[in-house]
Amino acid sequence: MSGSRSSSWTIKVREKAIEALPPEKLLPDGQPTYVASWIYMFGVASIAALVVIITSGTILALKGPAWWHYTGIGHFFNSIHMWAVELFFFVMVVHLWGKYWMSAWRGGRARVWITGAITFLVAVPTALTGYVSQQNFDAQWISTQAKDGLNSVGVGAFFNVTNFGQMYSYHVLLLPIAVVALVSAHVLLVRRHGVVPPIELGKR
Amino acid sequence: MIHVLGAIFNLSHPAHVVHWHFIKLPLANVIVIGLMLVAFAVAIALPFPGAASRAAARRGGDSS
Repeated sequence: MSGSRSSSWTIKVREKAIEALPPEKLLPDGQPTYVASWIYMFGVASIAALVVIITSGTILALKGPAWWHYTGIGHFFNSIHMWAVELFFFVMVVHLWGKYWMSAWRGGRARVWITGAITFLVAVPTALTGYVSQQNFDAQWISTQAKDGLNSVGVGAFFNVTNFGQMYSYHVLLLPIAVVALVSAHVLLVRRHGVVPPIELGKR
Repeated sequence: MIHVLGAIFNLSHPAHVVHWHFIKLPLANVIVIGLMLVAFAVAIALPFPGAASRAAARRGGDSS
C-alpha cells in the first residue's frame, strides 16, 4: 500500500512543488533592503495594469461592440481598456530596461528573463489583435496596413488581420491565456529565485 | 468635455512625424519614448519612502 502511495503522481507533483516553492518563498512576508527602490516597482505596476486590462476586457466582451461604440458607459470602459494597455506597455518597457541594466539573468535567473522577454513579444500581437477588433475605421486602417507587413513575412495565410472572427478569437482567448500563463510562470520563477540583487551585492 | 479637449488637441490632420536619417517616428511615439526615459531616470534617482530609515535600522541591527 505504501509503495503504491509513493508512486502516486499527485504525491510526486506535490513534493516537487513544495521543494521548488516552499510556502515561505511563494508568499514571503519581506523583501531584501535593496528592493526599496522605485525601479523595482515597475514589474508589479505591469501586473496591476494587466489586471485592469483583463477586467475591462471581460466587461467589453460581455457587452459587445454596439455597447462599446454607442453608449457613454461603453465608451468609458473602452477607454479604460485602451489606456490600461498603453500603461501596461509603458511600465513593462521601463521594467525591461531596469532589468536589462541590472543583468537580471544573473544567479540562475535565465528563465526569469526569458519568460519576461517572451511575455513582451506575445503582448505585442495581443494588443494588435485588439486594435483590429474594434470594428471601426481605425481597425480597418490598422488591419489593411498590417496585412502588407504580415504578408511580406509569409504569415498572412495563417494570421489574417482582416478576418475579424479570427482576430477577435485570438484577442479574447488564445493570446490572453498565453500572456497570463507566461506572467504566472514569470512571477513563480521570481519567487523561486528571489529578486535580483544589485550587481555589487551579487559579486559578493 | 470631449469638445473642450478636441479644441486643445486638434487631431484633424495627418500625424506629425520626426524624420532623422533612417529613423522615422510619429511625434506621439517620440513623446511616449521620452516619457519612458524620464520615468526610468526618475525611478533610479528618486529616493524610495522609508528606504533610508530601513537601511539605517538594518545597519544598526547588524552592529549590535
